[in-house]
Amino acid sequence: MTFAAATSAAATSAALAPAAATSASAASAFAAAAPAGTTSVAATLLLTAPVAAALATAAGYAVLGWRPATAWAGLVSPATILGCAVVLAVRVPGHGPVTGYGGLARADALSAWILLVIGAVAVLACAASPAYLAAENAAGHTDARGARRYGILVHAFLAAMAVAVLVANLGVLWVAIEATTIVTAFLVGHRRTRASVEAAWKYVVICSAGIALAFLGTILIYYAARQAGISEASALDWPVLVARAHELDPDVTRMGIALVILGFGAKAGLVPLHAWLPDAHSQAPAPVSALMSGVLLAVSFTAILRYKVIADVALGPGFARTLLAGAAVLTLALAAALLLGQRDYKRMLAYSSMEHMSLIALGAATGTRLAISAVLLHIAGHGLAKSVAFCSSGHILHLRHTTRIGRVRGLLSQAPVLAAAFGLAVLALLGFPPFSLFASELAIARAGFTGPAGLGWATAAALVLVLAAFAAMTARTAHMLLGPAPGQNGGAAATLVQKDTPVQKDGAAVAVPVHDGGTTTAMPDQDAATAMPARHGGGIAAAPVQDGGTAVTVPVRFGAAVWVPLAVGLAACAALGVSDVPLSSLLSTAAAITGGP
Amino acid sequence: MSTGTYTQLLDLACGVFLLAAVLVLWRRELTAFVRLFAVQGVALAAIAALSGIHEHRFELLAVAVGILVLRAGVLPYLMRRVLATSGETRETEPLVNVAASLLTAAALTLLAYAAARPLVELAPSPATRALPVGLAVVLIGFFTLVTRRRALAQAVGFLLLDNGITAVAFLATSGVPPIVELGVSFDVLLAVLVLQILTTRIHATFGGTDIDDLRELHD
Amino acid sequence: MSAVGTVAVLAQIVVVVAGAPLLTGLMRQVRARMEGRAGAGVGQPWRDLRKLLRKQPITPVGTGPAFRLAPLLLVATTLVVAALVPLASTATPVRDSADLLVVVTLLALGTVILALAGLDTGTAFGGMGASREMTVVALVEPTILLSVVALSIPAGSTNLPTIVAHGVHDPARLASPASLLAGVALAVVTLAETGRLPVDNPSTHLELTMIHEAMILEYAGPDLALIELGAQMRLTVLLGLLTSLFVPWGIATGTAAAALPLALALFAGKVALLGAGLAAAEVFWAKMRLFKVPELLTGSFLLALLAVGASFFLPGN
Repeated sequence: MTFAAATSAAATSAALAPAAATSASAASAFAAAAPAGTTSVAATLLLTAPVAAALATAAGYAVLGWRPATAWAGLVSPATILGCAVVLAVRVPGHGPVTGYGGLARADALSAWILLVIGAVAVLACAASPAYLAAENAAGHTDARGARRYGILVHAFLAAMAVAVLVANLGVLWVAIEATTIVTAFLVGHRRTRASVEAAWKYVVICSAGIALAFLGTILIYYAARQAGISEASALDWPVLVARAHELDPDVTRMGIALVILGFGAKAGLVPLHAWLPDAHSQAPAPVSALMSGVLLAVSFTAILRYKVIADVALGPGFARTLLAGAAVLTLALAAALLLGQRDYKRMLAYSSMEHMSLIALGAATGTRLAISAVLLHIAGHGLAKSVAFCSSGHILHLRHTTRIGRVRGLLSQAPVLAAAFGLAVLALLGFPPFSLFASELAIARAGFTGPAGLGWATAAALVLVLAAFAAMTARTAHMLLGPAPGQNGGAAATLVQKDTPVQKDGAAVAVPVHDGGTTTAMPDQDAATAMPARHGGGIAAAPVQDGGTAVTVPVRFGAAVWVPLAVGLAACAALGVSDVPLSSLLSTAAAITGGP
Repeated sequence: MSTGTYTQLLDLACGVFLLAAVLVLWRRELTAFVRLFAVQGVALAAIAALSGIHEHRFELLAVAVGILVLRAGVLPYLMRRVLATSGETRETEPLVNVAASLLTAAALTLLAYAAARPLVELAPSPATRALPVGLAVVLIGFFTLVTRRRALAQAVGFLLLDNGITAVAFLATSGVPPIVELGVSFDVLLAVLVLQILTTRIHATFGGTDIDDLRELHD
Repeated sequence: MSAVGTVAVLAQIVVVVAGAPLLTGLMRQVRARMEGRAGAGVGQPWRDLRKLLRKQPITPVGTGPAFRLAPLLLVATTLVVAALVPLASTATPVRDSADLLVVVTLLALGTVILALAGLDTGTAFGGMGASREMTVVALVEPTILLSVVALSIPAGSTNLPTIVAHGVHDPARLASPASLLAGVALAVVTLAETGRLPVDNPSTHLELTMIHEAMILEYAGPDLALIELGAQMRLTVLLGLLTSLFVPWGIATGTAAAALPLALALFAGKVALLGAGLAAAEVFWAKMRLFKVPELLTGSFLLALLAVGASFFLPGN
């Protein structure tokens, strides 16, 4: 790695370990078993455990429902995924890919890296879920049934992503990625408001249709493979296809690859089938947005990376490079343009995801080993930073009951910890050191300028567009964080109106993050010259009053449950930016799989 | 079965398959959409069965029966239930009027023919020569999805797309491996269930299933 | 070519001229019975023609030769078509001229002549009818040409007797998707060309909808008789063409004299059956609103195009 910054698997996993402690025993059992023997049983267990744990957790929620006792059990499956990923990360660089189920399941360094990211982001998202759902419940946006469905679907979602990462068969990979669409549809439509139903519909229709094109591409590759004499059983097997890619008919493969990039690109938020992304990411519950933005996009993009290896051998590196670079620059232009006029902070984060995915696509288009390592590091850094940003945006939504940037002002004085977390996450996304995105963005840009001819212009255009996005996001975030805290007006007014106990408790619930931050909320009764209308402020305090009784069981834990995941995520992202030594062998092995010279 | 009869029947099935897709663009009644989709499912099952008989791979007959049950039985049934609950019967005003849609379908068919040239040339046979039919249905499905405004019509568009892809799979390679086929069918079934539930929700929250009413989210 | 061929051509012309009014009569009768009326009898169109022919010829003031010549030209073109199309035999002296494109062009010529006559009267209805007819023709002609191409690809020729003989010898071709699609497309445009439901209603004079009747509103006496006869013959010839192309069995392909009467009888039977079926179907159809007609014709155009496409990518053996 030529870029200075580097990472720390130890830091990442150590930081996440406390949260994962509940199921760490299972993971450590694998850790003990796997390096010791190369038995296929251990390999099979290692490849099964992430999926099985997620499915079991989903089944557990289906049976037991979501209640205070089971809320934290949701950490079991992400912790297992993380544990297995760590074991794989340790094992794969030295011992080569782990296979199971007769070659159907396979984990190489790339799988291990993505699984690591899935595990880390899922731990953050699942740790943020109890607080989020409690607040949703208090605000009357969901109920026990909704929470149970949330529990089932989130873990089924994790299972589908784990399958997508751990299979060798490209057909099953497609099935798993399509399954993520189906599973997350109801998560996007969780709130059942007009906006969320609309988002869910667009999400399902655009993603399903887009990804259907990827299936058509898969079939064409399969056709080419069969005509090249590869047997039916292994004609969709990724290692076999890579080994014999030079035998594939170039014309058919070209069509297939173009469709695959278009289709999986839809799921990865790349132009032209990107329209679902801002809607779905802004309407989904915050932890789900974190998962979708942080890892689902990356998982889909990994599929493109795998096909790119086949394309580079069968068609030469130019074809996939042109497509990816074109998609990257167009996506970036669109995201930057829409970020400039953005008025909704969740949509702002969604467009920022598109911006980062296009940087990742640009890096993949460059395709050198350096660029691919930067891409993988970027995927990890973006996953962590974006999940922190989305989770804190969920809390901001609960605090202010609006997603309009114009109505959120003075967050820093109202809720310093939350504001700091959000601000730092945005800084990380903007590419400030010490966060790892700084190193990876720099490396992608360097690789673009020094890499294959013709990409210099694309990289230059991308940098200009990133600068525009940078300016837009900085201005919007500054508007949200700085300034006086107007939101207290409403709370104070409501407290004045009704002086009975429940209101006091709710007032406390709203203010908890503030107290946790160690600052006092003076609640100065500022003038009405504030961004938030008094009517709206009254609505905040009034809504929880009715059924606040159940929600107020949280206030004590509310604080820790809110800031610990955010802090851990930021720490991990920063640690990844400071040193990548423990992960460097995995990273270079993974980059060698898909990268060129 | 002699090669001649096989070719004849395969061509006939492909003809019906394509015609059903085209007629979806021609018709306005949502019930007709569902009926045509069921007809297309039967044609697709016939294509699968024919390639199974021709290549003496009789497990494909089981796949064909599965396709028949899913695409001519279960999915149309689900869509009829949506129709019954929503009470809407017509695609009132498509984004592109019917005459222009039909001309576009003609152009898309020619495009599919041009695009399928390399596919046919790789391994010319009666089945692969019919590949443009599958691609044309994919394109027509996409077009339906983009230009029709009722929720159910969009769902039918998506299913046409999927039928077209399955037809390509059978015509090119006698189907994908069973595990993938199973997974895909399961995904499609779930996707339609999701769309069904979402249609009901759209109807409940917006008071209709006109997708143009979905204007809450935009930049 | 032998004498049998010449006889066959003459017989075709005679049968078409004599049979056309009977076909119209039959169709009206079927319709009447299905609607619960007694009907005027199969011979009524002939009685109408006789009545009209006895009347004094009369032309409106200000009309020119286009108006006066149109009835004759209409009948003449249709007669030529009746001679060319292999309704009863493919082995005729005119077989080399019987190109499908020629037949289509002759039919279109008749339509254009009638439209010119409608314009020549200078009345509002005549102009309106002519303009509508031209709209329909503009949409119909491409469809016909494409269907012709689709049908000529398997036979390798646009020569009608060749196509029909090909169909007789290789009946499996007729069930190919290309042939079926072209058949449906041609059936739709036949309805449009002959002014039948659902494109035009031959039995009303409603200014909002009429096409054919609007053009011939100013005709009377023998001229009207010729126009009526011409229209009836066009219907007969087009239905005959459809049967020859898609149900060709029984058409004489050789020079044997015995095959000819059988072929003529079969032709009459097939056309009568098709006409009766069409009349029966019309009972259940409503006339389409005028602005929906392009939709129908575009649809048939698409079918014809698909037929051409299918003849390339579903070529059979």
